[in-house]
Amino acid sequence: MLKDITLGQFFPGDSILHKLDPRTKIILTLLYITSIFLATSVSGYIYIMLYTGLLVFISRIPIKIIVKGLRPLIVIIAFTAIINILWTKGEVLMVDFYFINIYLEGIMYALLMIIRITSLLAGTSVILTYTTSPIALTDGLERLLAPLKSIHLPVHEFAMMMTIALRFIPTLIEETDKIMNAQKARGADFSTGSLTKRAKALIPILIPLFISAFRRADELSTAMECRCYRGGDNRTRMTVLRMRPADFITIALLAMSCIITILLNINFPIYKI
Amino acid sequence: MASIELKNVSYIYGENTPFEKKALDNINVRFESGRISGLIGHTGSGKSTLVQLLNGLLKPCSGSILIDGRDIWEFPKKIRDIRFRVGLVFQYPEYQLFEESVYKDIAFGPVNMGLDKDEIDRRVRDAIVFCGLSDDLLKKSPFELSGGQKRRVAIAGIIAMEPEVLILDEPAAGLDPMGREEILGGVWSYQRRNNSTVILVSHSMEDMARYSDNIVVMSDSRIYMTGACSEIFKHADKLVSVGLDVPQITRLIHILIKRGIDIRDDIFTIEAAKDEIMKLIRQKQKGGFPEC
Repeated sequence: MLKDITLGQFFPGDSILHKLDPRTKIILTLLYITSIFLATSVSGYIYIMLYTGLLVFISRIPIKIIVKGLRPLIVIIAFTAIINILWTKGEVLMVDFYFINIYLEGIMYALLMIIRITSLLAGTSVILTYTTSPIALTDGLERLLAPLKSIHLPVHEFAMMMTIALRFIPTLIEETDKIMNAQKARGADFSTGSLTKRAKALIPILIPLFISAFRRADELSTAMECRCYRGGDNRTRMTVLRMRPADFITIALLAMSCIITILLNINFPIYKI
Repeated sequence: MASIELKNVSYIYGENTPFEKKALDNINVRFESGRISGLIGHTGSGKSTLVQLLNGLLKPCSGSILIDGRDIWEFPKKIRDIRFRVGLVFQYPEYQLFEESVYKDIAFGPVNMGLDKDEIDRRVRDAIVFCGLSDDLLKKSPFELSGGQKRRVAIAGIIAMEPEVLILDEPAAGLDPMGREEILGGVWSYQRRNNSTVILVSHSMEDMARYSDNIVVMSDSRIYMTGACSEIFKHADKLVSVGLDVPQITRLIHILIKRGIDIRDDIFTIEAAKDEIMKLIRQKQKGGFPEC
């Protein structure tokens, strides 16, 4: 049913990665992505695999969950790999079958692509989405983007909108479930018939859902005004984000890691692409 | 009219996941035909799960649900027909209204049943009368109505399907005393006229005492007690121990008995209590003890 959908992949825990400041983790993600795209040699790729593995290990997220998160992308990964195998031209011909020519370089390149995509996904999800609650994430974004306030971008308002939207996703799912059941009890049928018939069958769900969403929004805004909310100016926070030594150390470590990938490219170009 | 029975029914949410939660544990209960059965229990005792099992919205993990002795899951593809036979009014049903007119909204169920136009028209008009609303509301948008009227329109939407078993989950929640009276009174007269089987879920012991013939008490995913109102409300301490209560008037009677006044102990409506107390007073006056 609808309840089985996991929105936001936050996986509560107590690891070092969980405890880092969300701002740190956003910066780490950027650094991590940079270093993945910097790697161009086999040794660089091996290095990236190793430290992605290390990140997964210290996050203490079960491997099963990470694999499950990668599953929807199998098609894309497989597609990229096949394209690479078939269309890369190189020197060492492996298969020569009519119009299909597969070169060793193609296979190599496909493999490296697979590593790149999987570690990109596993790494960013471990650093950011699995270990940071959505609310902490918007908080971190708001603080990181704070300088943009000087050019009159409503950063706080955007963050507040995002927080509220995230907060109401489970509520709306629950509501949809309820309305669906109520209409099913009146004989509504969502799963059979032609496409137009099925689209029409959604009306009895969508209209009540929209109405209740608007009603909720109205009530929430009244409730916020009753508590004197009037936007971001001079607003203090309940949990103030604070960068601790651990945050700076991790950033430094990942920056170093970036440099190591570059060095590996230059010094050990075992297989240069 | 139909009786509905649960045999060894268990239901577990999220079976075989870390979030597994047992909602019903080996339930055996029978709702007699032509009666209003009350279903009470503290929050989270499994009432809502139970009513959703009765019309096939949920499928039991084990056990079977029988209407007139036949398993409702005998033909899983025909489960929609069961939903027409067992009408379920959810909590706050007014949030399910969606059509542009009251008429169309009430007709939604009958249209899904595939009835012809005249039959639909008859049923909509009957249903609106049962719910105590006037004919000229039919053309209005359901969103223009008051809260109590919306609720009644939503109930009419189920009644128009003319189900053999009518289940109402907290039909009077959040209404003022007048609204409660109108809705529950409407259900009561509907049941008396059609002699249908009604299951009423409520938290209000007063409503239960007034409108139901027998009561099923649930606690912690199990059936705790079943019986006629008079039977159930005798066991005030047992009800209190599972987070429920007896009607206030019954509590008063129990206190009177404790003080040594000779009065019947199966009184649970104000009317009955009034009659009984007046009788006592008259007796005492005759006997020469004008105490009051």
